[in-house]
Amino acid sequence: MARVGMARVLLVCPVVFRKEVNGVKIDDSVEKGFVEAGSRSELPFWLAKELHLRQAVSMSTPACFNQKTRMEIQADAACVDLRSRCPYFYEFGCKIAPLVGDQTIGYLLLSAFKTRYEIILSKAHTATFSASSKLSTILTKEETDLYETAQWSMAAFKKWRTGGPRFQKASILGRKRRSID
Amino acid sequence: MHGRQASQLVKELASSEKGQLKPFNMQHNTCNFNVFGSLGMLHVLRFLSDLFDQVIEQCEQHHLELQSLIRKIQDEGLDVQTTRNADHYGALIHHLSLVRNKRCLLAYVYNRAEIIRSFIWKVGPVLPEEIQEKLSHTEGDHFRRYSASLNSYVQEVGVDLTLDMVPPKDPYIKVRVLDDMGAIVLSDKTANLARHSMHFLRRTDAEQYIAQGLMEELTG
Repeated sequence: MARVGMARVLLVCPVVFRKEVNGVKIDDSVEKGFVEAGSRSELPFWLAKELHLRQAVSMSTPACFNQKTRMEIQADAACVDLRSRCPYFYEFGCKIAPLVGDQTIGYLLLSAFKTRYEIILSKAHTATFSASSKLSTILTKEETDLYETAQWSMAAFKKWRTGGPRFQKASILGRKRRSID
Repeated sequence: MHGRQASQLVKELASSEKGQLKPFNMQHNTCNFNVFGSLGMLHVLRFLSDLFDQVIEQCEQHHLELQSLIRKIQDEGLDVQTTRNADHYGALIHHLSLVRNKRCLLAYVYNRAEIIRSFIWKVGPVLPEEIQEKLSHTEGDHFRRYSASLNSYVQEVGVDLTLDMVPPKDPYIKVRVLDDMGAIVLSDKTANLARHSMHFLRRTDAEQYIAQGLMEELTG
């Protein structure tokens, strides 16, 4: 369970150590004080990448691009909860693909994004609050940004068309006052 | 796990709303929580809010371990530059963790500084209390100096750059006062800005008060 929790927090990659490492505390090496060559572990992406490039570890594809996720994306990309798999699904995929040498990740990302982009844009312009809050629980961080940008541009267009006060209170001050009222 | 606290620190930035600021994540900033009394509560807040210090402490730890591993390689009579043994890779991991932590700390400080600088364009040179207390001491200093250098530039070019970019149709606008402000000297007159009173003011005078939420513009 702890592993799952961690994977949600950090972008972790499964690795196999190719070299012995002294004086670090990674997983079960805490008592022994060293990591044996050939032992398996999960490292945060920034560390795994650097060690991989120096041939100290070999990386494999992270769990968020596993077979189960691929099948679900193939079935209906729009309904897959990518947020819980990896909040930066696309960016992480782009960075991981050349390192692990898995060319299928590119196609996976592209097909997932194509379907989801269409839905994000149409929902951003039409959905009511309740529908959009359900959608926002499955969007990745990148998709959420797109969604908000689409909504913002629609709001800006409406404001331009109907007019309104030119000056407004700075948004940074907005929240606190409202809670007092 | 290496760099966990640092990533939490950066996530605090990522999770906060765009352009909004949270209190600086450092121990001495929590002293104003003393007023809440209960020691237990204070302890919890302490724990939550000294992440920044924790990361720096971690950096020092990595640095020490890095040095001791390098020393070990030297003691064995090996060349630090070319050796690729277990100690080398241990030192490498500590070095990478150190660099990562540093990067996270810099990202945290840099992004906050960017938000803080944006305040001067949105709110003006005087920050309200509720924002002021979220800044660390050095951030407050940064804001004052940025404000001063902007001010001196504005005086040199003779145009107030913080004003609205769109040319006004009328130099005067109608405003309603939302909060008692008392008698204030404006550029063309002295006005008694009592709560709920309506005035016809120069746009340039009214802008900063509207941004601070003390007035609203009346249209139509």
